[in-house]
Amino acid sequence: MHELVEFAVEKALEFGAKYAEARFEEHSGVNIVMKNGNPEGLGMRADRGIGIRVLVNGGMGFASTNVLTKESVSEVVKKAVKLAKAASKVRNRPIEFSEERFHEVYYEVRMKKDFRDYSGEEKMEYLKLIEEEVLNSGGNVPMRFLSYQDWIARKYFVNNEGAKVESVIPRVSITYNLVVFEEGQVEQAPFVQTAFTGGLELIEKAEPWKRALNDVKALQRLIKEGKKPPEGKVDVVISPEVAGIAVHESVGHPYEADRIFGREAAQAGESFVKPDMLGKRIGSEVVTVIEDPTIPNSWGFYLYDDEGVKARPRYLIKDGIITEFLMNREYAYYLDTHSNASARAINYDREPIVRMANTYLAPGDYSFEELIEDVKLGVYMVSFNEWNIDDRRYQQRYIGREAYLIENGEIKHPVRRPILEITTKGLWSSVDAVGKEVEFYPGTCGKGEPGQGVPVWMGGASARLRDVVLRR
Amino acid sequence: MFDINELILKKAKEIGFGDFVVLSYETQRRQVRFANNEITVAKNWHYQKSVIFAEYEKRLVSTELTTLDEKTIEETLKMLFKTAKAMEPKKDYYGIAEGPFEYRDIPETFDRKIVELDEPNEYVEIAINSALEEGAKRVAGVLYTDYNKLYLTTSNNVEAFDEGTGIEISVRAFVDDVASGHGTNSVRVLKRFDPESAGRKAGEIAKLAINPEEGEAGKYDVIFDPLAFANLLSYMSFMTSAFAVEAGFSFLVGKLEQKVASEGIVLKDVGNMPNAYGTRKFDDEGVPTQETTIIENGVLKTYLLNTSLAKKYNTKTTANAGLTMPRAWNIYLEAGDYSKEELFSEVKRGIYITNVWYTRFQNYVAGDFSTIPRDGAFLIENGEIVKPIRNIRVSDNFQRILESIAALGKELYHIHWWEVRTPVFTPYVLVKDVGITKATK
Repeated sequence: MHELVEFAVEKALEFGAKYAEARFEEHSGVNIVMKNGNPEGLGMRADRGIGIRVLVNGGMGFASTNVLTKESVSEVVKKAVKLAKAASKVRNRPIEFSEERFHEVYYEVRMKKDFRDYSGEEKMEYLKLIEEEVLNSGGNVPMRFLSYQDWIARKYFVNNEGAKVESVIPRVSITYNLVVFEEGQVEQAPFVQTAFTGGLELIEKAEPWKRALNDVKALQRLIKEGKKPPEGKVDVVISPEVAGIAVHESVGHPYEADRIFGREAAQAGESFVKPDMLGKRIGSEVVTVIEDPTIPNSWGFYLYDDEGVKARPRYLIKDGIITEFLMNREYAYYLDTHSNASARAINYDREPIVRMANTYLAPGDYSFEELIEDVKLGVYMVSFNEWNIDDRRYQQRYIGREAYLIENGEIKHPVRRPILEITTKGLWSSVDAVGKEVEFYPGTCGKGEPGQGVPVWMGGASARLRDVVLRR
Repeated sequence: MFDINELILKKAKEIGFGDFVVLSYETQRRQVRFANNEITVAKNWHYQKSVIFAEYEKRLVSTELTTLDEKTIEETLKMLFKTAKAMEPKKDYYGIAEGPFEYRDIPETFDRKIVELDEPNEYVEIAINSALEEGAKRVAGVLYTDYNKLYLTTSNNVEAFDEGTGIEISVRAFVDDVASGHGTNSVRVLKRFDPESAGRKAGEIAKLAINPEEGEAGKYDVIFDPLAFANLLSYMSFMTSAFAVEAGFSFLVGKLEQKVASEGIVLKDVGNMPNAYGTRKFDDEGVPTQETTIIENGVLKTYLLNTSLAKKYNTKTTANAGLTMPRAWNIYLEAGDYSKEELFSEVKRGIYITNVWYTRFQNYVAGDFSTIPRDGAFLIENGEIVKPIRNIRVSDNFQRILESIAALGKELYHIHWWEVRTPVFTPYVLVKDVGITKATK
């Protein structure tokens, strides 16, 4: 396979490309679905192919195939070059890439408990554990959608500037949707995921079945004891899970350089952030947001991005100041700097584009008790269901699933669906204290056309927002 | 590729599988993406694959073969069989459709001119220029051409072939950062392709949207542009699948034969519609696609089904397999009798929303959701557009929206783009008392 990838790059140069990269990917794994106690089926994933991206006369072309013969790859390279040439005629300025240092490197994530050594039925046991916990909870949970997924991604990336990056990354994930009916009311915990790069040992340690039981109990309690949340200006303490979605949506996305420069305008949109906002204040001094692909076993893990650039932690916000955007080589060039290794593609048949990996609110120095103790009236938002944000990433909303009233420094009864609908600057300027403990939650970040759902972690520390308007 | 299908099926029978489906396909897909009036990347995809669904005593397994030599096929099937044997059965599995079936050619689903089209960039330039002519400054979007060949073979006497083409464009035009508009055009044959209309619409709305003022929260009568309403219907299409209903992802749970929309509302899935982007001759088990009325006169009549789910509920398949999950082909909201002007004249004080995105649910079973208007949104007073507004959110409930449809335009628009994944046919739609919220700090 190595030979075919290198052949593709050589061929592209021969056909007239100024820049050429080829990426082989093979994804193999298993997914298992269980619905309301019934095993819906087991899918074996076995996908592989090669994608070629080139620059010719300042135009960009990309082509892929899953037919892995020299003849077919040569044909695909020819197509990529032809597409790039034609595209170059409808450009005002040529596409250029930043200069980078490249490496010849191999890396892999090792599994302690290698999921390839276990049968489908053994993996199904994890879902059955969730079933058991939920059915024995004493609650009425008539709709239960459970899924297990694992796969190993083998990649080999080569470009004509000296990069040869090979990696083997296993990923494992469990997701559930639980619908609780009690007293004529319905509440649900949809798409709750536990996910890592690594082996089954990580799932066993995380015990998603215990999380499922907690979710059912919290929803039952919400139905039975939940009251309306306070309305108007109050304090809100957000958990690491809620902080995670907030940093992802209102910090990670608007700092993606391709959005800032309009490349995603017709799809995921643009950004309220402009290049001249680097160095400007966007949040209070206690807000630092880090984007780090290199966290071991993280869902968004990688050490080299899909342009062959070595990854490192990126400080998007430091002490409330915008310090860095997420960049691939194209946008690093326009910003006259180097890529910070944000180019990701979900498979061989997708172009690498600017993405997040693991985004988190950096810890502060407050214990959880200290965050709560001087809140007179407020809400502690533990988890959320509905969320969304406008396509410039400025107006967002998060609705609590599990949430509690805080009164005179104490956590009281559950509250129903507190709504935090707030601007990005309003949100990050309101943070006056950040907790010490950091937690991460997995998600699939959507962007690109055709869509590229990439695995990411979101999280960080708990945070206290002062005087924000809460609705119900 | 029928020879490969036959080979796979023969081996599967030898190994001992029961129900067995091979869906092989060859795809040539091309994309041209553009932004800031220039092409950002042009792409081409070539796939040749066989998707396999197999059953052994109610144990279900599936996979995808990308290497189609005899050795790989045999090894894969043996591994699948070993996996299936070790599994527990799906108790509510009731089989796949029994063929053979007769298939009819569906007009306007294949055009050799699209297959042979060498260079589609001129269409991109037409779309960009028409948006610029309307007053836009920056134009972004995407163009696709599609060519698919499908070969279906099953253990139950089905052998079916379909060949389809398509060309489509999605255009977003900007006058400045906060004044934008969007237009799309999706067709299956080249002579129907109209990239100019997509560009013009995007440009027109962008120009109307200059200098927007902050919107105010409240209840408003809302006219949804087809682009905006298609987004809601596309999400709803998933919720009409019996799988989504069972899994707790639908507000239609337990509502068969109940009123879920205002009187006169007819919602269909039409799998065999000419010139529609989702049209196919047959579903994934070989049943000829059809027209299925999901909501008739406001009443929910059926979920979308495959053969197994249909047998479970003692009814007939609606030809929407997905062998695990039935899915809609083309969602079709029947038109009303209002011209666009008449529709606007019905609104004393309301909002015209031209596009939405990021539709998310607080509770799928209850149907509580919100979605965010993007591109031009306009305040309407006494039937006239008064001014553009911004920074608002539609926060409501799916069923309440359907029950509050007050009027429908008389023309249907075919919408399929990045935010509307299931193709939708919808007119302009007037909905009463829609919840509008906005950020408070």
